[in-house]
Amino acid sequence: MAEQDNTQEYRRIYTLNLGPQHPSTHGVLRILLDLDGEYIVKADPVIGYGHRGHEKMGENRQYKQFLPNASRLDYLSGMLFNHGFVLAVEKLVGIEVPERAKYIRVIASELNRISSHLLWFGTYIMDLGGFTPFLYAFDDREQILDILDSVSGSRLTYSYCRFGGVTRDVDYKFIDMTRAFLKRMETRWADYDDLVTKNIIFIHRTRGVGIIDEELARQYGVTGPNLRACGVGFDVRRSEPYEVYDRLDFEVPTGSSGDALDRYYVRFKEMQQSCRIIDQALDQLPGGDFLTKKVPQKLAPPKGEVYAAFESARGLSAFYLVSDGSPGPYRCHIRVPSFGNLNVLSEVLPGTLVADAISILGSIDVVIPEIDR
Amino acid sequence: MKVKELEAIMLEKFPDAPLKRDETGLTGALWSIDVPISGIRDAAKAFGSAGFFLESITALDFEDTFELVYHFNRYEPKSRLVVRVLCGHDQVPASICDIFRGAGWLEREVHDFFGISFSGNTDLRALLLPEDADYRPLRKTFGKVSAYHKREEIYG
Amino acid sequence: MSEGLLGSEWFRLILGLLIVLGFASLNALFLVWLERKVAGHIQLRPGPMEVGPHGLLQTIMDAIKLMGKELILPAKADRKLFFLAPVLVFMPVLVGFLVLPFGPSMIIRDMNLGVLLVFAFSTFTVLAILAGGWASNNKYALLGAIRSVAQNVAYEIPLLLAVMSVVLMVHSLSFSEIVTSQKSVWFVFVQPIACLIYLISATAETNRAPFDIPEAESELVAGFHTEYSGMGFGLFFLAEYTNMFIVCAVATSLFFGGWNGLFGISLGIPGVFWFLFKTYALIFILMWVRWTFPRVRFDQLMNFSWKVMIPLSLANLVVTAIVLKLI
Repeated sequence: MAEQDNTQEYRRIYTLNLGPQHPSTHGVLRILLDLDGEYIVKADPVIGYGHRGHEKMGENRQYKQFLPNASRLDYLSGMLFNHGFVLAVEKLVGIEVPERAKYIRVIASELNRISSHLLWFGTYIMDLGGFTPFLYAFDDREQILDILDSVSGSRLTYSYCRFGGVTRDVDYKFIDMTRAFLKRMETRWADYDDLVTKNIIFIHRTRGVGIIDEELARQYGVTGPNLRACGVGFDVRRSEPYEVYDRLDFEVPTGSSGDALDRYYVRFKEMQQSCRIIDQALDQLPGGDFLTKKVPQKLAPPKGEVYAAFESARGLSAFYLVSDGSPGPYRCHIRVPSFGNLNVLSEVLPGTLVADAISILGSIDVVIPEIDR
Repeated sequence: MKVKELEAIMLEKFPDAPLKRDETGLTGALWSIDVPISGIRDAAKAFGSAGFFLESITALDFEDTFELVYHFNRYEPKSRLVVRVLCGHDQVPASICDIFRGAGWLEREVHDFFGISFSGNTDLRALLLPEDADYRPLRKTFGKVSAYHKREEIYG
Repeated sequence: MSEGLLGSEWFRLILGLLIVLGFASLNALFLVWLERKVAGHIQLRPGPMEVGPHGLLQTIMDAIKLMGKELILPAKADRKLFFLAPVLVFMPVLVGFLVLPFGPSMIIRDMNLGVLLVFAFSTFTVLAILAGGWASNNKYALLGAIRSVAQNVAYEIPLLLAVMSVVLMVHSLSFSEIVTSQKSVWFVFVQPIACLIYLISATAETNRAPFDIPEAESELVAGFHTEYSGMGFGLFFLAEYTNMFIVCAVATSLFFGGWNGLFGISLGIPGVFWFLFKTYALIFILMWVRWTFPRVRFDQLMNFSWKVMIPLSLANLVVTAIVLKLI
């Protein structure tokens, strides 16, 4: 931390505080910048403003009581985290999930992934100064929120996945709304392409900006679209397939240079791939139970640990639960992708302009509450 | 480098370290190895040169000891490996933040919540807690605790 | 014309000033409403609809609200400069209204240096922005002010060079003469490049998107007017819209025929309506551009001015001069 220099001598480098209250830091983030004119010399992210003690809460609650906490970690991928936690506990206890429930969970998770990416897309362009795509993206996101609301009752943080399945079955209304949404998005991709992807100002703001290469990503544990933009096609849905991802045909989009533009392309194409997954899952949706009936009220997991990784919207996330045989975990640790994604900024930001800092911060898509837990 | 080669290297470096293979898939890893506290840097160097990335560092608080759990992974299918280090309540493990630069923050978080200092990590300021926090929340001696066990009660 | 009270110079001047003040205020009110409506419709939403029919009274209510707010002076801010800056940004712009040709004989003062007057006084905004940013004792504001000065200086040059091309053709700096010489064909058809350069530079001069870096909301909180509240902020806001009107009115007079009809056909509509319609159409285009494009990065903006706009406008001027010599 720069010491307070109280002498009046001329210091060329001055300290600027980016945030905690700032329109562009996504969540409560503070970055201490040492600036030389407009160039960043040193960047030190300061986090912890949103620490709520989820890991301590996890130790004092039963598994079923911790269920709502999971989606509040990364509230933009609430369904994905809810899904991940449920997977971890089911793995630990050994609960079988009916096929129908697996497909429903995959559909809901992928819808959540699209909504998270749409929000990122809107806010990223807004940070760069283009206010209009934000509203278009939120219009689409409203459709997803309505779909998930109709089946789970929540718009942002879900407790839809339960141990052994999902809490309510999907009906024809859900399937029709989802199919209508997929059809609508097919035309929207071209609109977004014209409005944003081909916009020369946007390309100039993002090409060659904030390059994260593979070695840097490996050092910091960067995962998710930020890693895939460097050219590494690492996706948990492919490397450790869970639920029914091994039965669905989808691509893992990768970039080549690791700059902000590639990260944008990767997320854009991921949205389209998610639509493809949902389409196939709807086609393959079997009949049957949506919740297995054999789950006891008081779980009695064996002693030991479980580490369940899943691909959230931001990268590789995991729940690490250590069980002592009681109905609640002994230790509940959550591995979040934004931790490494934000950490890497202390090496990527120096040498860039302040305006680029905003562009880079937006392109890595961090959600601070997930880092703070 | 194949995982088998890395396994051989680890067994060579730490001949009496118990290496547990995971048949059930519960730990999410292929195997996990218990490394003595003095050997964490060698282990990290081996993993680093094998192209692994550090997925997470976490700690577990037992009555008799701390346990540091390092999860390493690679950009290949099903390549997670775990390194476990038993570390007494007053011991100071070595930092691996020069081998994996991302470990700096992970160790800061462990220090924040458990009070485990890492020698070699010059920047152990509070990461998530306020700067002047002198409490260590995730220790089982802090706040409301529902269970406090010895290590063998869980891992046998 | 100097008979009696009604014909005296002074009366005409004072009446003109009152009309200008009234018109400037009404114009600013109208433009704020228009901006919000245009922004809304581009973003698939209706914009203000509650206050008055289709939100027409919204701006008045906002102005009343702003006037009622506390004037906050940040600690260690330069008090005199801090309160001078909003006044300095608004008053000189009003001077520009004196020479605008609203109609065939509707100019308050038909000066033979009209063009020079408008641009001389509009440069004051740079000074005011710098004063405001410096006096706020805030690093963000200072950054915004510095960027604004560099941007305004850089884009002043192609602006003036483009205007010079027109002045060369007309041999006069007087607005009424420039407009009358466009009776048969508007200068936009004769000097399309100069028109384009002028419009781009005007967008940069008025700090509008995509060149709105000095007030880059999402980067610098609010740029040079971060620390202003209440009427100080209101005056900056008002000045921006008035400035927008002035540059579009000048563009109309210089390139789009002023109060002339298209190719001499005026369809019986008085010149003043042609003038206002063209000016507001240009303003609408400025707003349209704002809500479509993201922001240009600062060094890209400066590069664009010094490496593209200035050579282009110089070349345009030279070509104009050569062609005029040859004809």
